[in-house]
Amino acid sequence: MEVQKEAQRIMTLSVWKMYNSRLQRGGLRLHRSLQLSLVMRSAREVYLSAKLEEDEEGRLGPQPCLGEEGAGQPPLQPAAAASPGPPAPEERAAPADRGNAPGAVDPEPMETQDSSGDAPPAAPAPGAGRRPARGVSLPPPAKASRKRRSSSLDKPGAAEAGLVPTKKARLEAEEEEGERQPQGQDGPFPSLAKVLQTRFSGMLRGGPPKGPEPTPGCRPGDGVLSILVRAVVAF
Amino acid sequence: ADIISTVEFNHTGELLATGDKGGRVVIFQREQESKNQPHRRGEYNVYSTFQSHEPEFDYLKSLEIEEKINKIRWLPQQNAAYFLLSTNDKTVKLWKVSERDKRPEGYNLKDEDGRLRDPSMITMLRVPVLRPMDLMVEATPRRVFANAHTYHINSISVNSDYETYMSADDLRINLWNFEITNQSFNIVDIKPANMEELTEVITAAEFHPHHCNTFVYSSSKGTIRLCDMRASALCDRHSKFFEEPEDPSNRSFFSEIISSISDVKFSHSGRYIMTRDYLTVKVWDLNMENRPIETYQVHDYLRSKLCSLYENDCIFDKFECVWNGSDSVIMTGSYNNFFRMFDRNTKRDVTLEASRENSKPRAILKPRKVCVGGKRRKDEISVDSLDFSKKILHTAWHPSENIIAVAATNNLYIFQDKVN
Repeated sequence: MEVQKEAQRIMTLSVWKMYNSRLQRGGLRLHRSLQLSLVMRSAREVYLSAKLEEDEEGRLGPQPCLGEEGAGQPPLQPAAAASPGPPAPEERAAPADRGNAPGAVDPEPMETQDSSGDAPPAAPAPGAGRRPARGVSLPPPAKASRKRRSSSLDKPGAAEAGLVPTKKARLEAEEEEGERQPQGQDGPFPSLAKVLQTRFSGMLRGGPPKGPEPTPGCRPGDGVLSILVRAVVAF
Repeated sequence: ADIISTVEFNHTGELLATGDKGGRVVIFQREQESKNQPHRRGEYNVYSTFQSHEPEFDYLKSLEIEEKINKIRWLPQQNAAYFLLSTNDKTVKLWKVSERDKRPEGYNLKDEDGRLRDPSMITMLRVPVLRPMDLMVEATPRRVFANAHTYHINSISVNSDYETYMSADDLRINLWNFEITNQSFNIVDIKPANMEELTEVITAAEFHPHHCNTFVYSSSKGTIRLCDMRASALCDRHSKFFEEPEDPSNRSFFSEIISSISDVKFSHSGRYIMTRDYLTVKVWDLNMENRPIETYQVHDYLRSKLCSLYENDCIFDKFECVWNGSDSVIMTGSYNNFFRMFDRNTKRDVTLEASRENSKPRAILKPRKVCVGGKRRKDEISVDSLDFSKKILHTAWHPSENIIAVAATNNLYIFQDKVN
């Protein structure tokens, strides 16, 4: 539990630092972003494994919802940090969580409410067919849903199969735009900036979290975090 | 803006250059030792000051480019003038620093103030003569090597052929010829095709002191690669790979990031390399790749404080390390304005402090000690009272004498051996 809280605090802190580093003079520092994402990844691994242990313990009690969730979450793929696993199963697990008591230490409820818009584009996004995103790791939800409705796009290798030639070209143009503008509110991560702003505005205004107490009502979802991790590293 | 960001002696030790966050370079020159005052060893006085880099704006990327000088490297002296390379995040410049102690007087067409003379008033011709003047030191930019780096330059290194040098950023290393500014060869490129697969970046690079075909570069994963430019044009494949297996008992959230190497330096002999990561300095033998031959703990008491150091961003500090002229002692900085020296032969180490209170002229520095828990002795400092805003990241050692330059934020300290 302590470990989980600590991991969560570190994750929140890392997100805050990532956000701040975009505002620094001299532009985004690749090395710094990489280090922040590494810390976030370790913290997330610890958090998820601690959570899994807790859930397994809870599974021994009569809680069908939890059991469903426990089964719904595959043995954590956080080890394969670059793998697209984590966001998808978390998203899938999220609806199951709705049944849980909100008092439980659970980042999911927060995430499901806000990310229901994000989930559709995010879930298929981590597939192997995902574009080598310079600036497209978190595509604008509206645009992404337009692009990704077609089921063939969900399948890995869709891009290579040449099924989406025109969309690829447009994305590349978007990518170039992303490359040219790695910074600024209207930069390559307009939606990322928006997500960060809306979700973390309260937290950001208040400065970095201090001390071990959890920040209630503002816990970053893991799905968003993994996307953030990729977004910041791949600029 | 006056925070010193790099310190470097030239090859004879006569000159000491510092670069700062405001893009300025200040060069100090050692006084000639006078026979009248033999007890007064040559002191360093300001020789030249100039603005090397200005803040720039990259319009294409909407990025401000900082003017902070990341590194200065001297070229060996080949004539009366001095040459140095200075770099910020994106542009390397070659500066010529020369003295002028004579000036021509007696021009025909203009008078001494430079005003043009009325041609109708000139009745005879004269030959201008050189007359002595007050010494003036001028710095002129001779070459500007720009637009070759997408990422931030972290190192430059002059080759032993004195014709080429390399500049390294997070993902690429370029080889330049001093005479050619509009192109460079890319010799290392570790950028993955898919940026999401990025796992490590280049943190420092240096040429071998004698072999002009050999260089090393360090990574954020704590590894060092030695490359031979004779093997291929693109040195993506290393000739040697230096890595120490991780100690599993030391794993924490931050293990990965504290293993990132912040500096790599060849010994003067060319036989060893020294690397600095967040908590240690390691000496490697070029002939042994699987582990360093020596490891020195700089401030191991910080290992349990990594979380707080992450919070206050200190964990990202990039400390440098230096060899003395004979490669027998190594030096690196720490917090609280402490710097550490390790004698490789006697295995003794010392912690000294660079501060105004302790540094009256000719005062002898007293060794300091950090107390790690338990009873704190008098004169010891406890870990919790260390000032983490006072960090010594940049130090330099005279190439042949025991004179060291220590940059403590915006102050430069120069220490010498005790004179009897």
